[in-house]
Amino acid sequence: MLFNSYIFVFLFLPIVLLVFALVGKFWHYKAAISWLVISSLFFYGWWNPSYLGLILFSIIFNYAVGVALLGKRKKALLLFGIAGNILLLGYFKYANFFLDNVNYVLGNSMVLEEIILPLAISFFTFQQITYLVDAFNGETREYSFLYYCLFVLFFPQLIAGPIVHHKEMMPQFESGIIYKLKSSNLIIGISIFFIGLFKKTVFADTLAIYATSVFTASEIGIELTFFESWVGAIAYTFQLYFDFSGYSDMAIGIARMFGIILPINFFSPYKANNIADFWRRWHITLSNFIKEYLYYPINLTMTRYAVVNNTNPIIKFIITIIIPMTFVWFLTGLWHGAGWTFILWGLIHGMYLIIFQLWTDIRSYFRWSRDEPTFFGIATSRIVTFTAVIVSFVMFRSESINGAMSMYHSMFGFSGISLPMSFEAKLSVLGEIPEMIGIVYNGMFYNGVLTANPNNIIILLFIMLIIVWFSPNVTEWFRFEKPALRIDGLLKKGGLYWRRNTGFALITIFIASTALMFIQRESEFLYFQF
Amino acid sequence: MDNDVFYKVSVIFKDVFNDQNLEIAPEMTAADIEEWDSLNHINLIIAHEIEFGVRFTSFEISNLKDIGQFVELLESKIQK
Repeated sequence: MLFNSYIFVFLFLPIVLLVFALVGKFWHYKAAISWLVISSLFFYGWWNPSYLGLILFSIIFNYAVGVALLGKRKKALLLFGIAGNILLLGYFKYANFFLDNVNYVLGNSMVLEEIILPLAISFFTFQQITYLVDAFNGETREYSFLYYCLFVLFFPQLIAGPIVHHKEMMPQFESGIIYKLKSSNLIIGISIFFIGLFKKTVFADTLAIYATSVFTASEIGIELTFFESWVGAIAYTFQLYFDFSGYSDMAIGIARMFGIILPINFFSPYKANNIADFWRRWHITLSNFIKEYLYYPINLTMTRYAVVNNTNPIIKFIITIIIPMTFVWFLTGLWHGAGWTFILWGLIHGMYLIIFQLWTDIRSYFRWSRDEPTFFGIATSRIVTFTAVIVSFVMFRSESINGAMSMYHSMFGFSGISLPMSFEAKLSVLGEIPEMIGIVYNGMFYNGVLTANPNNIIILLFIMLIIVWFSPNVTEWFRFEKPALRIDGLLKKGGLYWRRNTGFALITIFIASTALMFIQRESEFLYFQF
Repeated sequence: MDNDVFYKVSVIFKDVFNDQNLEIAPEMTAADIEEWDSLNHINLIIAHEIEFGVRFTSFEISNLKDIGQFVELLESKIQK
């Protein structure tokens, strides 16, 4: 079931919430938890009931291994548990892709029945791996199987995160507070939910129209103009952000209605001033997972080796930066999808981070300015970072490497730059120069790939830019309402904030009704495919 | 908290962040030092491993709250 559907907003959510509260109040808390588990299974099975068995198997397997680990701390058992999860994910998500590549290399034509990706498998696999590691390290304790089911299945964050930790959710499920509906939780939850819905239905789904037409054209071999390709790439960059951060807001809002606080997943990623900063703001729960469970173990070993053996700086850079980054980002790309475009996208980010680290090392070595950065410095680094992100998402969005390459061809000016016809007279003062660098005057969008009035599209993208660069984010708006977990140190003092008053109630009503009006073009969330 | 250990730690911080003016305090976190990213975090940990002859696991180093907690973890390892 989609969050952005009338059946979810007007039927499923109110019924689940109401029954949960009534059962919790007048009957037994275990019955209320059971109700939430059953509702979540229904929510999951709504798309495709055939994978209910798979998710239940995964839950039972991990619970059993986790309990055994809490009883006896055996490394072999931990590795067995992790391997079980990886194998399950590997088969259902990567078997077809793997075989295609083997066939390609060997020239064979082995056939495996097309395996349909079970929804949310990438998310619930990772979440349960963290549980096993936490159990092994004694970071959490044993809770009943019923609570464990809710930890994995809790419908607000089941499909596309945020990826939660066992130790941060279980105490919340167990505390008695959540069984009493609280008006403050309802108000905050509903407000955050509708902001998320607005981001999705009003912004993301509108931007999708332009992004899709450009990327589709590129895929079928139309040579795009310089401006068309950039409009498509920028529109997609905004679409992905509003889609996925909107989804996270909705998850956080829905959970809050039940009195549950989820971890933060987005913190204005496009305000990042360098690429490492970007990954501390984008899909935060995934970044943390990768850092803690992949990057730290690898890099700790590599760095220890380099320091103990006193390798020279270049070798040290290779074995502590280039090799771990390439490996980690290859896997991160692959996690997003079984395809070479995703792997290349991951590797592009690995490369960005390597370049960033090299730059940081050079700066540190020469002790270049530790002064407060200037406005110009900040603006430059933000624009460079944002541009790098846009370029990377072209690979992420493209269906094939060829499609992405043809986008890059146009974006980097290899197809020439076509300006509006009226510019011909204005630029005549430059003589032959414009012509020499490939400028022609056929109009900025002469392919007609973008059906709407180009001026309107440019205005729309400009508004989006103002919002992502200058507007406070949801966490900042709700700074005094404990909007999410893991926000220590993120919030600076001052700034605008949300209040429980009539003014904000009216704003919420406006946001909600607009968001609901736009629901009619129901569309899936981009991150559901991962 | 052992003053001697804390002093040695503060010297390592100056060294790793290549900043002789850096003064640390137990309640400081990674957010207080601009260069303290995940990569320098590893460098910092390894520098302490070498100096004190101890060993950290990746799990231990991903769950530290502030410098004070880190020094406590370090001291518990030295005593062993």
